[in-house]
Amino acid sequence: MPKTRVGVFVCHCGNNIGGVVRVPDVVEYARTLPNVTYAEDNLYTCSEEGLSSIKDQIAKEGLNRIVVASCTPRTHEPLFKKACEEAGLNKYLFEFVNIREHCSWVHMHDPAMATQKAKELVRMGVAKAVHLEPQEEFESDVFPAALVIGGGVAGMSAALALANQGIQVHLVEREQELGGLIRGVQTLFPTEQDTDELLRPLAERVKAHPQISVFLGSEVESVSGFIGDFDVSVRTDGEVEGLRVGTIVVATGAEELKPVGLYRYGELPNVVTQLEFEEQFKSGGDVPRSVAIINCVGARIPQRTYCGRFCCATAIKNAIWMMERDPEARVYVLHRDVMAYGVEIEEFYQRAMELGVRFLRYDVESPPEVLGEDRAKAVKVQHQLMGKEVTLPVDMVVLTTPLVARDDNGKLSKMLKVPLGSEGFFLEAHLKLRPIEFSTDGVYVCGAARYPSNIPESVSQAYAAAAKASIPIREGLVRVEAITAVCDERTCSACGNCVEACPFGAVELQQGRFGRTAYVNTALCKGCGCCVAACPSGAMQQRGFSDRQVLSMIGALAEVMTGGVE
Amino acid sequence: MQDKLQEVVRKLLAEGAVEYFIGYCQSSQPHRAVPCFVSDESEVEKLVWGPLCGQNLSKYVLRANELEGKVGILLKGCDTRAIVELIKQHQIERDKIVAIGVPCQGQVDGRKLEKALGVSLEQVTNVEDAGDGFLVTVGEETKKVPKEEVLLDKCFRCKHPYAFPYDVTLGEVVPFTIEADVGEYAAVEELEALPIEERRAFWRKQFERCIRCNACREACYACYCKECLFDRKMPRWLAAPPLLSENEMYHLIRAVHLAGRCIDCGECQRVCPVNIPLGSLYRKIQKDVAELFDYEAGMEMDTVPPLVNFELDDQDPFL
Amino acid sequence: MVSSSDSLGNGFEPKILVFACNWCSYAGADLAGVSRLQMPPNCRVVRVMCSARVRPEFVITALSKGLDGVLVLGCHPGDCHYSEGNYFTRRRGLLLRKLLEYVGIEPERFQVRWVSASEGAKFAETVERVTEQIRALGPNRPRSEVLPTEPGDK
Repeated sequence: MPKTRVGVFVCHCGNNIGGVVRVPDVVEYARTLPNVTYAEDNLYTCSEEGLSSIKDQIAKEGLNRIVVASCTPRTHEPLFKKACEEAGLNKYLFEFVNIREHCSWVHMHDPAMATQKAKELVRMGVAKAVHLEPQEEFESDVFPAALVIGGGVAGMSAALALANQGIQVHLVEREQELGGLIRGVQTLFPTEQDTDELLRPLAERVKAHPQISVFLGSEVESVSGFIGDFDVSVRTDGEVEGLRVGTIVVATGAEELKPVGLYRYGELPNVVTQLEFEEQFKSGGDVPRSVAIINCVGARIPQRTYCGRFCCATAIKNAIWMMERDPEARVYVLHRDVMAYGVEIEEFYQRAMELGVRFLRYDVESPPEVLGEDRAKAVKVQHQLMGKEVTLPVDMVVLTTPLVARDDNGKLSKMLKVPLGSEGFFLEAHLKLRPIEFSTDGVYVCGAARYPSNIPESVSQAYAAAAKASIPIREGLVRVEAITAVCDERTCSACGNCVEACPFGAVELQQGRFGRTAYVNTALCKGCGCCVAACPSGAMQQRGFSDRQVLSMIGALAEVMTGGVE
Repeated sequence: MQDKLQEVVRKLLAEGAVEYFIGYCQSSQPHRAVPCFVSDESEVEKLVWGPLCGQNLSKYVLRANELEGKVGILLKGCDTRAIVELIKQHQIERDKIVAIGVPCQGQVDGRKLEKALGVSLEQVTNVEDAGDGFLVTVGEETKKVPKEEVLLDKCFRCKHPYAFPYDVTLGEVVPFTIEADVGEYAAVEELEALPIEERRAFWRKQFERCIRCNACREACYACYCKECLFDRKMPRWLAAPPLLSENEMYHLIRAVHLAGRCIDCGECQRVCPVNIPLGSLYRKIQKDVAELFDYEAGMEMDTVPPLVNFELDDQDPFL
Repeated sequence: MVSSSDSLGNGFEPKILVFACNWCSYAGADLAGVSRLQMPPNCRVVRVMCSARVRPEFVITALSKGLDGVLVLGCHPGDCHYSEGNYFTRRRGLLLRKLLEYVGIEPERFQVRWVSASEGAKFAETVERVTEQIRALGPNRPRSEVLPTEPGDK
């Protein structure tokens, strides 16, 4: 086994480090450390000169570990790693010690202690470097095709965005037609155009596109594999077809809540939801003379605390629709708050009021009551502003309900190994920092599948999901930084802690040469180390952050207290 | 009970239902029963059952993994907790075991018995359960000793997870209860009440006596690792030969490894040759796991070990 | 032996090990540096990718080897770069500090704190506070008690 030969390069960083830390002392100290065969100081180790020196000394001194003591690894680590590689040294045999942000810059008034600290940090860095091992980055091919689950507005938009880049797309839709939720909607807010005007051309483009294969009346039955290489089986009419894709977009949408048990829905024939209203009247049929629309039905209540976001706009849309057909109609919108966000919807709301739609505010504590024996005849409500109860005679009651997550989201979430949130919608990796993606690589989500969203929102998200889903395909490769976990199967006892601990489902128990042991799928491993810390026997380790490496740093620091440093 | 046990085991062996049976039998020292492995009907008469069967034999079932067939084992209620955990931790399949449940009315702590009688254990020739006490024979004399004086610590807090699916029971497995003014975590709370320096001095003194024999590890059902962290050479966590200054490290690390796995069987304390009160250490771990994470090992089959689990509303004093 | 006194040769200088996660707390420490926030020089940072990498055995080992304190810094719960890591850190932290206190190790010697990438000031304040708390406690173990182990094993 070749002797470990560590080279230490201590940077002055101009005056940033050198002005506080006595760099030559640190260099001298480094030379005394076990396994260090070479040490020098540089004015700027990251400069051309500094990098050349590293490369030269690797060759000249036969260095097989490099420690640079300078700034934070978060800036120049790739630079130094590249220099090592250029000199023929595996880039994972490099260790960075931070003696600027963590030392010279924060102990400016105590050069003696700062120098002492720098020495100790270098000691720790060298101790770790000795135990670094060469690593190869895991590369996995990406199969150049994408799966879009769901053929609604979001799904179709995502499919087109992907296909227009030349990527093969498989679009799987459960119903016999494309269109999703908005097929049941007759007109769109705030433009009031016919849905068909938007939907038909979109569906035509999808069907005509040479890069998109559409599966109608089909469902995804199983998914296995990981980013770059998913095996998907799709069932159509009892026939199963296998597909291979690199990335997956979830665009399965949501459904309108049918509020059975609320406001006598299901009991009285003329109490309907917004979608049902559209179905009944917009394709012909008389407009009812007087209508009470009740908002927030089954939303913003203890059992379902969220707001459906655009159902108010839907209510306003249908209220306007009625007033335009019959200016004498009496349309009441019983609301708790009007969610008219953005410019267009606010203007839409204004218009409704101008047309004579009456907006009445009610309290969640005293909700409206639907009166009538075998038909709804009136709605009694505590008018919040007037402070008294009013009874509104009506021919029909329309209930505005939010979108709710589909029942079978659970099945799909398990198939794809992606989580659901508390309301049953798909849960993204991070609400603020990582929308559209999941923690599970290669799977993305857009549209109402993640939470109620209107058409422009769904389409924007679809474009975002398509963009993200195309990146691995364009790159052709998924490269994983070699800081992944690895299990020593000879000493693993298959207790299963690691499997539970992994946030990414990257660890499984498998039957191997040494019986049942844990196995890490490197393509899925993110290098967090949760599994390593959970392993009681130390069989699971993390490349670049192994127990041995960390312990060596602890030991190196502790040795200082028992006479290691002068 | 003992006869019934032997009958059942004889039948199991005759039918070939198990390759061997793990139980207790008389040893050369009458004051304690020892584990034994009976593979032939002719050996069945060795099997005993009584108040001297406090040991947890569960760890021995792991040998069944090397066999084609099953093993049988006699299980007190407390022992089943280890079996539940071994199954949860993928160490054995339920169908490898034929579990015989036995109603237990408390087990004798040899050290306490010695103290109560004032004689060495070697002189005890027989111990029998007599309801509220034990009939102990020393020489020619038989005395009744009240149970609360000589029970194993764990018997005072008998939990008997009745939900365990035994294959056979030798009678109704009912809880053992005793009227005794012993709090759930009495020993722990006593130490917790001390000022911190006194606690430090106490544990220092205890850990100093440790001879690093590893008996506690060998006796513990949860210590089944093919290669124990402490035996690893790369990295070496503990110096070899053992350093006195690292004794504390050994015990603290083992305690942390047992968090969420310790079933309160008391074997570690029982086998310690220098009488370190390990129960006070492991009971503390159990207490904290129960109070912090609402979790008790070995009571349910479907729960996730607490340290590889979390709740969004876990306590958070670290803000 | 230098480390028991400061540059003026007065008093006890604690030696504190700090684990900082790459995405939040290490970056927060960097920000403190960039902002030139001055702090006591007693902490030594070990970078890990996630605070969940810090196994309790590291803390126990560090304290056993005579280090005066261990500080584990991670992302705020809910913001972990790896989604869930710091939830494990939190649980381990809760259990370990109780256990350590039970065997007589002062609770100030093992602390966990959430420091985000933008909280340079919080990092500095934490270092300051923890250093002073541990300084007041004195050395964790008499130095004479902690014997060096065989070189090459670590």
